[in-house]
Amino acid sequence: MTKLDHLKEITESKKPFIIYKSDKGFDLFTNFSKKIILTNKNIQNFINNVSKNKSKRKDTDLFIGFFGYEILNNLIGVKIKKQNSLKFPKGIFYKPEKRIKLPTRLNYKPIKPIKFNKNFKVNLNEDSYSNIFNKFKKKIKSGETYQIKICTKYKNATQIDALDFFCRLTKTNIAPEAFMIKDKNYSIISCSPENLITKKNNFITTKPIAGTLKKTKKLNKTKALSFFKKNIKETKEHNMIVDMERSDLSKVCRPGSVKIIKKKTVEEYRDLYHYVSLIGGKLKKKVSSLDIIKAMMPGGSVIGCPKISTLNLLNTQEKEGRNIYTGSFGYINFNGDMRFNIIIRSVLNYQNYSEISVASGVVIDSNAKHEFNENYIKAKALMDLYK
Amino acid sequence: MIYIIDHKDSFTHNVVHQFENFDDVYCDNFNDIKQSKLNKAKVVVFSPGPGSPKDYPNTSKIYKELKGKKKIIGICLGFQQILYCERGKIVQQNKIYHGYQSKIKVTGNNSLFKKNQKFTVGRYHSLKLQEPFAAKNFEITMRCDISHTAMAIENNIDKIYGFQFHPESFLTENGNLLIKKILSA
Repeated sequence: MTKLDHLKEITESKKPFIIYKSDKGFDLFTNFSKKIILTNKNIQNFINNVSKNKSKRKDTDLFIGFFGYEILNNLIGVKIKKQNSLKFPKGIFYKPEKRIKLPTRLNYKPIKPIKFNKNFKVNLNEDSYSNIFNKFKKKIKSGETYQIKICTKYKNATQIDALDFFCRLTKTNIAPEAFMIKDKNYSIISCSPENLITKKNNFITTKPIAGTLKKTKKLNKTKALSFFKKNIKETKEHNMIVDMERSDLSKVCRPGSVKIIKKKTVEEYRDLYHYVSLIGGKLKKKVSSLDIIKAMMPGGSVIGCPKISTLNLLNTQEKEGRNIYTGSFGYINFNGDMRFNIIIRSVLNYQNYSEISVASGVVIDSNAKHEFNENYIKAKALMDLYK
Repeated sequence: MIYIIDHKDSFTHNVVHQFENFDDVYCDNFNDIKQSKLNKAKVVVFSPGPGSPKDYPNTSKIYKELKGKKKIIGICLGFQQILYCERGKIVQQNKIYHGYQSKIKVTGNNSLFKKNQKFTVGRYHSLKLQEPFAAKNFEITMRCDISHTAMAIENNIDKIYGFQFHPESFLTENGNLLIKKILSA
């Protein structure tokens, strides 16, 4: 059997499955023996119990899935008022019994092509966006927040073929944290570029992105770097995130071990350039998986800074639940190693209802129209899948 | 032992990490102070944080109780908290510095640091000290090289020190040296 048949086989089997970007290609996880739906009550026990085994024997000795935004707020004691929501679960993890390596080029032809609805509605128009934007600017002036990210949502009622979407997306955009989940009543497709936690033995890294530049024909990587370096606004935004992530890592790392491994580099994607840093540290001896997750999540670069007071401000202004958006997807191995991303650049399809969420940052010198448009650019790459 | 009072900031643990280079450090939230730890501490540090000093009456109370009894160090909001308790006025600035790197200069005559020495530092502040400011035994010892905004205070009699900038930021060069010097003062 060739490697390419796995995708056909998994679709025909109608079993739930997950695909996650690996170093060389993708990993396909399936044959789930357990499915755990997270609640505010069971999440702590779940995280503590996964890594109790200490040893990892098989490459399926792990739980893979996602934490939504709301449950991560609750975990660090930030309460969210009642919001409109899809009633989508706050988090789901699976225990796979089968793991298959897939190549970087995923080939899949839908058996029965589905007709998609390609018309999206945005939940905040430019006026209401500007309104929230100006409120937050005042909060920046009074020092309650230094940077805050407003989320806008593009929504659409439609069926989708998740695997087809994911394969098309990864053909043009191989994001290092791309993943998809296909279960009976929902699917998630994401080309997340951002790693939040990579933990191996006692070493942990995080790789925040702050700074985005739309690609043009005249630009290349070197020019993009010099743009970011000269652009004071992007530089300040990035600096803030680097210091915040250093601080989050310092909660769980040994004194003096937190270091910036790569300072302010440029990464290239299909439509965008990103300004990226890599920060790492050595974990303290008695740190649990739960301690690490609480220190790092929700990922700061998609929230703003300082985290707690900014989350409180966001949660009073955002009328709709973020669901998976700015939550984290990844896995915890039985030996405590883990890898988690930040869920951005993603489509959530739940009961034939699609939702694409995007956010961009308000700092003291940002402009409402520009940030609103930046959100649209980010969403467009995903809305194009519905064509 | 150094006791750090956290004002729910996302930079506090950089401060903890930095001070851990020199001594044992305990860090608690400003509304969850452990009195026994506070009593044992040789040095008390007020962390950076959102908002303004008037939002943290608990920290002001601790300052007034400990002034002259223990070494006190304030960073950013913590710096403003000390000034506020010394009847300084904390106001919004026209230009706001968040994630900003600037040059500052030692301007004080009685500073632990060499006069006219320059430092490159990271800044995260919306508010600043409105001058003139005068309090017994306090001296403004560092200023922004361009705007002349107050960037550090020293009171070498009561052993009270404060920085408006962030010595723990990666944007600050030689931050550890600054901390080492005031810890050994």
